[in-house]
Formats: sequence, structure tokens, C-alpha cells
Amino acid sequence: MRFTKAQALILIAFSIPVAIELRTVAGFFNYDLPLIGVVVIEFLFLALLFVLYGLYGEKSTPAAQ
Amino acid sequence: MATAAGNEPLFVERFPDEAAVAKANLLVAFVALGIGAFFGLVQALHRTDILRIIDSADYYTLLTGHGVLLAIVFTIFGLAAFFHWATARSLDQPAVSTLFSWAWFGLMTTGSLLASVAILGGLVPNLGISADVLFTFYAPLQAHPIFYIGLAMFIVGTWLSGADWFLSYRAWREDNPDERIPLQAFMVLTTMIMWYIATVGVAVSVVFFLIPWSLGLIESVNPLLTRTLFWFFGHPIVYFWLMPAYMMWYTVLPKLAGGRLFSDPLARVVFLLFLLLSTPVGIHHQYLDPGIAEGFKFIAMTNTMFLLLPSLLTAFTAVASIEHGARQRGGEGYLRWLGALPWRDPAFAGMAFAGLIFAAGGFSGMINAGMNINYLIHNSLWVPGHFHMTVGTAVALTFMAAAYWLVPQLTGTKLYSRPIGLLQVVLWFVGMVFMSNAMHRAGLAGIPRRTAEPQYQNFDFVTPIGSIFELRVQIAFGGLLLFLSVVLFLFNMLLTAFGEKSERPVDEFLPAPLSGPEGSPRVLDNLGLWTGIAVVLVILAYTLPIAGIIQNGGGLFGGGLPVPVTVFPDVELVKTVLAGALAALAGVLL
Repeated sequence: MRFTKAQALILIAFSIPVAIELRTVAGFFNYDLPLIGVVVIEFLFLALLFVLYGLYGEKSTPAAQ
Repeated sequence: MATAAGNEPLFVERFPDEAAVAKANLLVAFVALGIGAFFGLVQALHRTDILRIIDSADYYTLLTGHGVLLAIVFTIFGLAAFFHWATARSLDQPAVSTLFSWAWFGLMTTGSLLASVAILGGLVPNLGISADVLFTFYAPLQAHPIFYIGLAMFIVGTWLSGADWFLSYRAWREDNPDERIPLQAFMVLTTMIMWYIATVGVAVSVVFFLIPWSLGLIESVNPLLTRTLFWFFGHPIVYFWLMPAYMMWYTVLPKLAGGRLFSDPLARVVFLLFLLLSTPVGIHHQYLDPGIAEGFKFIAMTNTMFLLLPSLLTAFTAVASIEHGARQRGGEGYLRWLGALPWRDPAFAGMAFAGLIFAAGGFSGMINAGMNINYLIHNSLWVPGHFHMTVGTAVALTFMAAAYWLVPQLTGTKLYSRPIGLLQVVLWFVGMVFMSNAMHRAGLAGIPRRTAEPQYQNFDFVTPIGSIFELRVQIAFGGLLLFLSVVLFLFNMLLTAFGEKSERPVDEFLPAPLSGPEGSPRVLDNLGLWTGIAVVLVILAYTLPIAGIIQNGGGLFGGGLPVPVTVFPDVELVKTVLAGALAALAGVLL
């Protein structure tokens, strides 16, 4: 199945509530995650998504898959 | 529910008059959406102290405008458009009288204009007109008479719109005496019965108390009585907003997902449960009102928890229908089928986002409904956080998403831009996540709602995680994204309406459910029976509390000193009302 732009956009949208609540989850384990930590994790997720889209996105070549 | 696929003429070709009425309703709804969203942005920036362009005194004028324009005008005109379309489509016949349809539309619009003038008059001090009474408009806050008169006209307009759809049903029934009521028509009729019952409270409050009081004909009102009458209507209005959204989730969303509705009978049961349970729960909004005995509040809480049942049934049916659609499209696995859904389609993506946020809103609503835990968040910013997830997303985003599919049917033109539509629904989801999450957290920290200046002197709110500043930025940023989303939506709708005509702008076909109505008992369609039971439940839930409020709160018009609450209201009055209700029910049953 091809990875479409729409799917990438939806995944980015779904990552926002996860990122916002990440500090709450860390708090359950008595870990005080700083805001900048959340920003970095979200940035890394977006970078990963970007790479995956490049590899498996709708405009990628079949050879890349 | 199925309609013929293929070369069937468009809705606008089959029912041009009904399409025109629906379009007019959507036009008013979208104008209200634009103005109300702008007011919302100004409020979000003001109370978070990010940008202040109004005086704090005017904040309450904009807050009232935001609430009335979005929670009453946008939602109910949207409902009227969807229901007018659904009635004609599902019964496959036009309205009995187009003139009558325009009459209720005209009455609703005139009422909305009068109420809006009264509200916006508050921005012009020399005018002598204002209505800074917020969306909840009960005493002791008082508005200019034209606000209440406008509201009364609006409510009467909605009653006439319901009459219009019932007349269509009666005409259809004469030609189809043995048929089951088509599902969409069934949803329209049960919703309107619920509305007729619910609006009795607000009609009595406005006509007998608030209008005479604002005109100076009576000196005072009983504030607790007007509050209780408001919430008699104020909770079921939540379902009046939601039920057209449910109608779209049940009848349109499965088709957009590529499948069919899982169960028609389950959908009928859900709408009947809403008819029965929506109204006898309003007192759960009054847990902190001192004039109502705790026992009545406990009963209201119990009834409210029963309301979770139809919502959970809906969650099951909607997800089952969507999964069926995804598997029809080749989706496999436990979760991988999610990737096979048509996320590119803004109508589908918007409704799916709306349903997801509604689930979160349902959980925070359970906190509101719990009598003890409600004290933690009562009148705090948690509550707007909750209803921006429910009416502000489950309803508003569903209406916008549904418009991407419905408006082309009404105009005969193709949607201007699907990518802009997708970006719009994603922006709404992200903006609402930022804003409502921060509102819930701020409420837990004790920050109050309904105030332009949410800080107290010599007191700092404390959050367990992060800071108050972060929450303020989140609220302002979320509000900004939501406003941008509305701008994109209105832009897309405007260009769609003025676009070029197309022979087949959208696939209107709605497939039959997997499980049709034929397997369900016919008693589900006995609307008289369910109406009778709903009325009895309301009488049981409200007779004792209202009698107590009148007896202990200084009479119908207040003015006297309140005395401690008792649970011994006028026994004769209670007996008479209960006997009347039982006689009415017996009349329906026998």
C-alpha cells in the first residue's frame, strides 16, 4: 500500500495530542519531561515521517520500495 | 435507506425547492459561524492576555455573541438544512408546502437577527440596547426585551420546521401505510419530538417570566426557577445539536468509508434512547445550586449515566461500519485496515476526527456528570474545554465535513478544493486539541470560566505539569488555528457555491444497511408510544424539584426570602400532575 500525503497529514495530526500528553505519561513514572524534550521528540517523529514518505510515499519509485 | 445509483438525477434536480430552503439555512449557519468564530478568537486572545483589542467590559458582549451565534444559530440552522434535505431524500417526496418552509425559515432568521442586534447593541453604549446575558440567559442577568422576543420567534420557527417535516411524513404515510419509516426520516422525527418536549421549559421561562420582567410588567422573577427551566431545555439542546451529527455518522459516514451501515435497528434504538433520556437530566447542570435537594440531583446524575448507553452504542456502530468500509476497500489486519480508509476525502476525515474528539469529550463529560467529582471542576475552564470537544467539534466539525459532501448536491457544483478541505479539518482537529486540552488542564488548576480577567490578586494558580503561561499560549494558539480553519472552510464553500455546474458533482448514493429494519420489532416505529413514555419520565424527574423551587424559593415570581430546602412540595399538585401523566400514557397505550 502506498503512503499518501493525506495519510502523512493525518499521522501528523494524530501525533499532536500524543505529544501534548507525553509529559503526563512521563509524570506517571515520576519523570519530569521538560517542554523542550517534547518538542525534540515531536521533531524527530516528523523527521521520521518525512523519511518514510520519501521511501514509501506516493511519488517514490517502485525500486525504492 | 438505499437510493438508486447511477443515472439518478441530482437532489437539486429532483427537489429544487427543498434544495433552495436547505441552502438558505446553510447560508445563515455559515454567516453565524464566521462571526462567532471571530468573536471566539478575540476572546481567546483577550483572556489569555496575548492580545487585547477590546475592553474587558465588552468581553461579555462578545462571549454572548460567540455562544448564541455558534451554539444556537449555527447549529440549529445547520440542523434545519440537514433535516430538510434528509426528509425529502428519505421519503422521496417534496415538502407539502414550500411557502410554509420559507415561513419557518423567515421566522427563525428574523428571531436570530433581533437577538443578534440586542447582543451587538452592547458594543454601542449610547444605543440603550444590550444583552450581555451569555448563552445561558437565565436570571438574574437581564437582557433587552428584543433579545428574548427574538429567541421566542426563533424557537417558534423551529417548532414550525418540525411541523413541516411531520406533514411530509403524514403525506408519505398515507401512500405507504405498511412501510417502515425510512431511517433518516425516523431520526428527524424522533429528534423533533425530543425538541418539542425540551423547549417547553425555555418557552415557559421566556414567555411567562423573562419577557414580562424585561418589559417591567413584573418586578422580579424566581432566579432558581428560570435557571431550572433553562436547564430543562439546556441539556437536551446538546442532543439537538448532536443528533443531526449522529444522523450523518449513521447514514453518510459508512458510505464515505466505502461500506454500509452496520445496523439499522441499533440506530433506531439509539435515537429512541435519546428521545427518552435527553430531558430528565438537566438538573445535573445545577449540582451547586443551593435551592435543589441533593436527592433530586442524585436522580439526575443516575439518568445522565444512562445516557452513556446510546453514545457507546453509536461508537460501536460507527466503528463497525467504518471497519466494514475499510475491508471492502482491501484493508486487512487488526489495525492496518485504518490505512485503507479514504483519508484524502475531507468529508470522511472531518467526520472521523469529530468522532474521535467526541470520545474524549464524552470522558470529560462523565467527570461533569459525576455529582461528587463535578465539584472539582464546576464553573472552571474545564467546562468550556469539554463543550468545545462536543458541540465545538463533534457537531461543528461534522457539520463542516458533511457540507463538503452535501453542498455540491444542493448547488449542482463540484467542491472547489478537496486538499483545502482536508487541510481545514486537520487544522480544526489540531487547533481543538491544543485549545481544549489546555482548557481542561486550566480547569483542574482552578482557573474560572466566564471571565475576562481570570487572575485573582495575591493568588497564583499552580499546575502539576508545565506552567500557566504554557496553557495560556496553548489556548491562544489553538484559538488561532480554529479561526484559520473556519476562514478556509468559508472560502471553500463560497467558491463551491459560485463554481461551474457539473453533471455529477458528488456520488449521492447511500447504500442499504447490512442489517435492515425488517428484522427489528415494529414497535420501534410507534412514535406516539415513545412520546408518551418520554413525557412521563420528564414529569417524574421535574415535578417534585420544580414544586420545591416554587414553594421554597418565594413563589413563581420570587421576591420573598428563600427558606431552607425541603423535599415536601405541594403534595396535591404532585398527585394531580402524576395522575394526568398516567392517564395520558394509558390513552396512548390502549
